[in-house]
Amino acid sequence: MNYMDKTEFNQRLAAILDVEEVKPDNVLKDFDSWDSLAILSVLAMADAQYGVSIKAEEIRSVVTAEDLVRLVEAKRK
Amino acid sequence: MNFIFRRKRIAGVLVVVPENERSFSEDMKNFNFPEARSLKLKEVMGFDKRRVVKPGVCVSDLAVFGLEHLMGEGLLKRDEIDALLLVTQTPDHLMPATSSLIQGRLGLKQDILCLDINQACAGFVIGLMQAFMLLEQESVNKVVLINADVLSRKTSPKDRNIYPLIGDAASIVVVERDPEDSVIHASLKMDGSRAGALIIPAGGLRLPSSPETAHLEEVGDNNLRAKDHVFMDGSAIFNFVQTEVPPLIENLLARAGVASEAVDYFLCHQPNRFMLEKLADKMKVPYARMPNNVVEHFGNNGSVTIPTVMAYNLRERLLREQLQVCLAAYGGGLAWSAMLLKLGKLAFNTIIEYK
Repeated sequence: MNYMDKTEFNQRLAAILDVEEVKPDNVLKDFDSWDSLAILSVLAMADAQYGVSIKAEEIRSVVTAEDLVRLVEAKRK
Repeated sequence: MNFIFRRKRIAGVLVVVPENERSFSEDMKNFNFPEARSLKLKEVMGFDKRRVVKPGVCVSDLAVFGLEHLMGEGLLKRDEIDALLLVTQTPDHLMPATSSLIQGRLGLKQDILCLDINQACAGFVIGLMQAFMLLEQESVNKVVLINADVLSRKTSPKDRNIYPLIGDAASIVVVERDPEDSVIHASLKMDGSRAGALIIPAGGLRLPSSPETAHLEEVGDNNLRAKDHVFMDGSAIFNFVQTEVPPLIENLLARAGVASEAVDYFLCHQPNRFMLEKLADKMKVPYARMPNNVVEHFGNNGSVTIPTVMAYNLRERLLREQLQVCLAAYGGGLAWSAMLLKLGKLAFNTIIEYK
């Protein structure tokens, strides 16, 4: 697996959350749009773009955008 | 597991939807949920209009209405039905079989096999397989396959995860022997270890319905649900479909020696638009060849979504010509299935309203 482009991941996350930008230390729950639809969209994005299958509970358990990147990265290995 | 059927065909498709229509935007006003996110849900998932029964309407009511319509129009004769298969998860009673109740109400002949099949969203393909197998018998010339559910009646009105997307409907599909030398390939897999992803916990004998099972409980995200209601783990189902369905279809096509490009339409179960778009992306199939608009017009009506795609999107074409189609049906059980067949030159292919 090639190295994961974190900037690109955060751009995809920003598109899902309907915001301009997501920074690594942003807390996901602080976004108004962080709801079940956003979680499903992240799950779909992880599957389509990174070929990993993540459970919704796993996504719910992470705190920041950086944690989410780490979760996807860990699954790819 | 793999199946091959020879010289069988679908002769006609009728879908019965309740005339009672609900709107997603109106339903969402009953929830404590930001309007902007409701609009986003509508846009992404395709939730809009859906058809649900009025209180008290049962599966047999929809089925009898549809069969009487076909008989009244001269499209089906009362005495030519040799088997009546009903795929449902919402029977009129625990016993007897609802298919027998339908036979009785319609006064069908006694030389008939009535059989209820307890399957969910994979039930259209499973029902067809059963119909094809029965047609191996010389005494069976015509099988009526009914798929019907009134799942809205088992859905919590306070559960935003499922209430605004469920539709009720019945389909009546006539299956018979094909004079042409046709070959139909099918694949089916099941995994009961994941049964809990789609379940109505109470109401059977394991947990009989009681005042306790009717009690609405807080289940997160401000949603309330009772054990009498259907529970769906939406994200687990999403992962299941994206992981299991593409290889099932790829293997089916490879076995049949048919390229994906040679399939005119992929007629898939329709839980929502989002899941179908992601499935199409993964299988590299253009959206135009995998219709995904049943949910926005009718709601997710369970095992009836595939006949609904046929009648709503391909009505004229399927009356006129024959198309190479791949069906894919997946859901509770868990069960996932696919079938490759030539479909068309149907005697009827239409949607009527139950009043």
